[in-house]
Order: sequence, then C-alpha cells, then structure tokens
Amino acid sequence: MLELRLVQGSLLKKVLESIKDLVNDANFDCSATGFSLQAMDSSHVALVALLLRAEGFEHYRCDRNISMGMNLNNMSKMLKCAGNDDIITIKADDGSDTVTFMFESPTQDKISDFEMKLMDIDSEHLGIPDAEYHAIVRMPSVEFARICKDLSSIGDTVVISVTKEGVKFSTRGDIGSANIVCRQNTTVDKPEEATVIEMNEPVSLTFALRYMNSFTKATPLSNTVTISLSSDLPVVVEYKIAEMGYVRFYLAPKIEEDEDETKPQA
Amino acid sequence: MGIKGLTKLLADNAPKGMKEQKFETYFGRKIAIDASMSIYQFLIVVGRSGTEMLTNEAGEVTSHLQGMFNRTIRLLEAGIKPVYVFDGKPPDLKKQELAKRYSKRADATEDLADAIEVGNKEDIEKFSKRTVKVTKQHNDDCKRLLRLMGVPVIEQAPSEAEAQCAALCKLGKVYAVASEDMDSLTFGSPRFLRHLMDPSSRKIPVMEFEVAKILEELNLTMDQFIDLCILSGCDYCDNIRGIGGLTALKLIRQHGAIEGILENINKERYQIPDDWPYKEARQLFKEPLVCTDEEQLDIKWTTPDEEGLLTFLVNENGFNSERVTKAVEKIKAAKNKSSQGRMESFFKPVTNPSVSIKRKVNKCVLRFPKPGAQHKFSLQAFSFSRSKVIGSLGMSMLDHSSKYSGSGPLVMAACFGT
Repeated sequence: MLELRLVQGSLLKKVLESIKDLVNDANFDCSATGFSLQAMDSSHVALVALLLRAEGFEHYRCDRNISMGMNLNNMSKMLKCAGNDDIITIKADDGSDTVTFMFESPTQDKISDFEMKLMDIDSEHLGIPDAEYHAIVRMPSVEFARICKDLSSIGDTVVISVTKEGVKFSTRGDIGSANIVCRQNTTVDKPEEATVIEMNEPVSLTFALRYMNSFTKATPLSNTVTISLSSDLPVVVEYKIAEMGYVRFYLAPKIEEDEDETKPQA
Repeated sequence: MGIKGLTKLLADNAPKGMKEQKFETYFGRKIAIDASMSIYQFLIVVGRSGTEMLTNEAGEVTSHLQGMFNRTIRLLEAGIKPVYVFDGKPPDLKKQELAKRYSKRADATEDLADAIEVGNKEDIEKFSKRTVKVTKQHNDDCKRLLRLMGVPVIEQAPSEAEAQCAALCKLGKVYAVASEDMDSLTFGSPRFLRHLMDPSSRKIPVMEFEVAKILEELNLTMDQFIDLCILSGCDYCDNIRGIGGLTALKLIRQHGAIEGILENINKERYQIPDDWPYKEARQLFKEPLVCTDEEQLDIKWTTPDEEGLLTFLVNENGFNSERVTKAVEKIKAAKNKSSQGRMESFFKPVTNPSVSIKRKVNKCVLRFPKPGAQHKFSLQAFSFSRSKVIGSLGMSMLDHSSKYSGSGPLVMAACFGT
C-alpha cells in the first residue's frame, strides 16, 4: 500500500518536465524515507537521480520498499491534467499493476483520478559513491540555462574550466568560438543571485551541450544550480527542490582519444 | 552460410540473450567486421543493374569500393570504431562447402549466358548476382581504401575472418563482432551484433546477442552449444537429415553431446552421414586458427589521408571529388563523437533494494490470480521485432497467464519461472 500526498503538486509536474526528455521509462523507487528515481538516458551517457524525501509530503505512507515502472511521457501527460495549485496524491495498492494520481483543486470542489498502467522495466541501478569534488560552482539557474543555450548556437561541446579566476564556459564551432567567464560574486541583494566557487584543484572538462541543455529544463525547480566537477568523474548538475530533495543530473565527460586507447574495454 | 535457423531457435528459447538496441548507442565502441563477407555483399548489391556494374574508366568494377566507403563512413559518423578482418586460408573442412559454391557459380555462369541469349532481364539479374566472386584485387582495393580512411584492418586472418573477429572480442580488443553470419556465436564471440550495417533507410534495430546469457538461458555449456550448431547445420559438415534446431536442442539436453546422441538415436529413422566429421568441425569452432599475438593485433584508428583518398577514389576510380571531400570532412567531424564517455565507466551496477510492485504480484499470485495483466509490456517491447518472433512470444505469454488462473501446482510453477 502506497499513498503519498503532495500539497505543492506543481513540484511533481516540474520534476517530470525536467526529466521526461532525457529518459523514456524509469522505475520510481519508494521506501519509508522517500520517493526516488534513478535512470539513464538510452545511450547511457547521462543519469538522472531524483529524491523527494518523505518529510516533504503532507501524508506519506509506504509499507515496504517497492518500485514502479512508468513511462515518463505518459506520466507527464497525466500530470499535465493537474492544475498548478492542485494537491497531488500518488496511490498504488499491493499487487496492482496500476498507479493512481489524484488531483484535488485547492478549494476541494474538483477531484480527478487518473490511473496509469505500470510496466516492467529491466534497468540497472548504478552505485554512485560519495565523492570529494575538485570544484563546486553554485550560480543562478537561469544564468546557467542562458549560457548553455547561447553556447549551443555556436558549438556542440562545452569546456567547463574552473580556476582561481572563476568558471569559464567555452565552445568552438564552424562559425567561430565563444568564451563566457563567471567570477565569484557574493555581493548581491539576494543570496540566490550569488555565484560561489569552491575550488580545491583547477579542473577542465568537456561535455556535450545537447545534454546540458536538456538538464536546464529543471530550471523552474530552483533558483540556483550547483555544478560539481572532478577530472575523473561525471559532472553533477544539481537542482535542489525546496525542503524536499533534489534532481541531480550526471553527465559523462568527453574523453581524449589517446586516454581512451589505454582504457580497458567496458 | 552460418548456422541454419539459429536466430529463430534463440528467439524462441533464449529471448533474454538477445536484445534490440538503437544504432546510435554504439558510439565509441570498437566493432570487428568480417570484410570478405561485406565485399561480397557490396558486389551483389551496390550499383548493379543486370550485368552492368559500377566501374571506373578502365572498366574495373568499383561497387565494392563504393559500398565499403559509404558503409564505413556511416559507422564512423555514428562514432563507431570499426576494424575490418580479411579472410585467410579456408579450413580444409570448408572445401566441400566451397566446392559446392564454386559449382553453383559455374552453373549460374552458364545460365547467365543462356539468359543473355534469350534476353530475359529478370534471369540476367538473378544469375549475374550468382556469378559474383570476390577476387584478391577486390580485397586489396578495400584494404587500401580502409587504410587511407584511417580505419584499421587485419590484413590476413590465419584462417576464417569470423573466427578472428570472435578472437578479437574474446581478447577484449573490440566490444563486439558485427556480422549477418550466426557463425560468430558458435566461434564464441562474447557479443555479437546483427543488422548493425543495414542501411539506415531500412530502420531495423541492431540485435545484440550475448553468448553468456544465451548459454545460461539454454542451460547449455559452450561445448554443447557448438554441438547444437553443428547439428542445426553449419558450413563445415552435413547435418543429420530430419534433425533441425529444435530437435537438436532437445537431443543435446537429453544426451549431453553429439557422441551421446549417436549412441542413443534411432539409426533406422535418422541417417547419420558416412564418415561424419563432426569432431573436426567441433574442433574448428572450439579452437579455430586465429592470431592472438598482441603486436599484430595492435589496432589504431588514425586521421584519414585526404590526398590519398582523392588520388585513389577520384583519379583512379572515377568517384565524384566533391563527394569524397565532403566524406573526409565527415570522418574528421566524427572523431568528436567517439570520445563521449559512458556512465558505466564511472559507476558500477548495484542491486536495487526495492522490489518491483509487479514482481510481487507473482509472489502473491496464489491469493490474487490476475490473468494476463503483468505481461503487457514485454509484448510491447518486442512488437517491432520480426513477425515470427512476435507470434511465438505472444503465445508463450498467453500460456503463462492462463497458468495463473489455473490449478495450484501450475501456479507454483509460474512463480518459480519468474
């Protein structure tokens, strides 16, 4: 038996909008601690990890750990039918092969039930170890989205380099090249407009802009975005979901050809 | 060619050993390809009408170059790193098969002459295809082309190219072997891809076979699998008349190996070929003559030689120079794509603590029998595979669900099965 009641239903809508283009089908894992998801895109280059902690729900009942396979596009279709102010309740019975989304209008005068078929998804769960990152950049999410969009009109890949000076995003394409540097800036009126750079070691990595742009679909979830970089790890682009958890996107870097030759076949 | 009916046998009996993948997912992967087989296909298909073929000014056929050039570019563009392996000396056992092919070709040549005399266009087309033969010149042309493109070649496998490809995969030099010839599995290539090289216009997904999973599902050892392939019919020796793949599978499971089958089989009903060289065939599959020398197998992808390609393709073989220049650009641009990393190189799979809500249905099936409900997706997932597969899978699903509503012991069996 599963029953999760989320007063701020729009959060779930936004979460789905942010991941449905990256991942087609995914298993939602539900435990006593929270509602989570881990899934990779079809080419296994990017991974999304979602966590909505139990405390963030008004009512949270999950009798035992279960996972529910859903087609994210279909789920998004259903959630689009919920109003932005609606309260969303997710319900599933033991042994059922469907999940129910219930939408209640704020005034309680309209209640809708949407039942969606679940699916069997064979997916690998990857273990993501806690790591110390060489550099962590926190910046306004809108700014990051803008940079990714602008750069992708010039090139296909972005080099993100963090030095003492700041964080540099650069690209190169047929028509020319572009460099955007963001310096640390904490003297702003609102804390969410700050750009904060923590660096233990300078780092420079190359990524496909196509994926970065897809990640920025999560911008409505949070005013700030945190980008964690290490030279031997995928980048983490994290959007915090207020009081509840996060959506984290992991993206494998592009690897220089010569290094690749020496690596064992995966 | 290949193993008779193996694809269908596996689809029916080891569906988990094969999965459909998008062509695009193979970026950055090193793939071994049997070149001789590819060239043969190009000579049959590319730019042919009747007896006319694509030629250069000197009248030499260029179909193989055209085909090899285009296909290799398509692979490179997708970020795939191909390595082509050329055939060496065929094993003695294959001589019989080759002789058969030779005589077929001779027949076709005669038929072709007749057809031309009569002027029957359809027959001309049909028989001229059958007269196709891959010569040393064709092979040398393709080797030169590939080298100019910066694509590695293994110039001469000690024997069969298929076996060498499988050896490369076993050594971890390549991710998989791409071929249309199911022999690759019998040679023990850990990963084998079909339809990787089909033209994109056909929109056929790549079918990936994993030997380990196939063996697990068939519940056979590799040696037994080889025997199964020999019984199904391979290039190296005849099979027993009246025994097809399915019967062979049953017999192997029952008797363990061909020796056991020969002891127990009804010899009145099944005629065992005289001097049946199944042991030799088995040996060829098990320990084929291949090169495993690290130095000779040093495979490297380099930048294409633009000038060399222009000289060879445009000046010597009458290709359009603009097309070649564009293609070289494509190869260079593709380098970028093959460098994309994968998640699995950083994070390793772990077991997920959560239990699927639906898997639980199976466990408590004794309490709530829900016929048919849980298998919708599996059906969907296979709906784009070949129609025969759909049919058979569909049937087994239905069987399954009917068990749920059936009597107690059957329900138990279903539980264990899932």
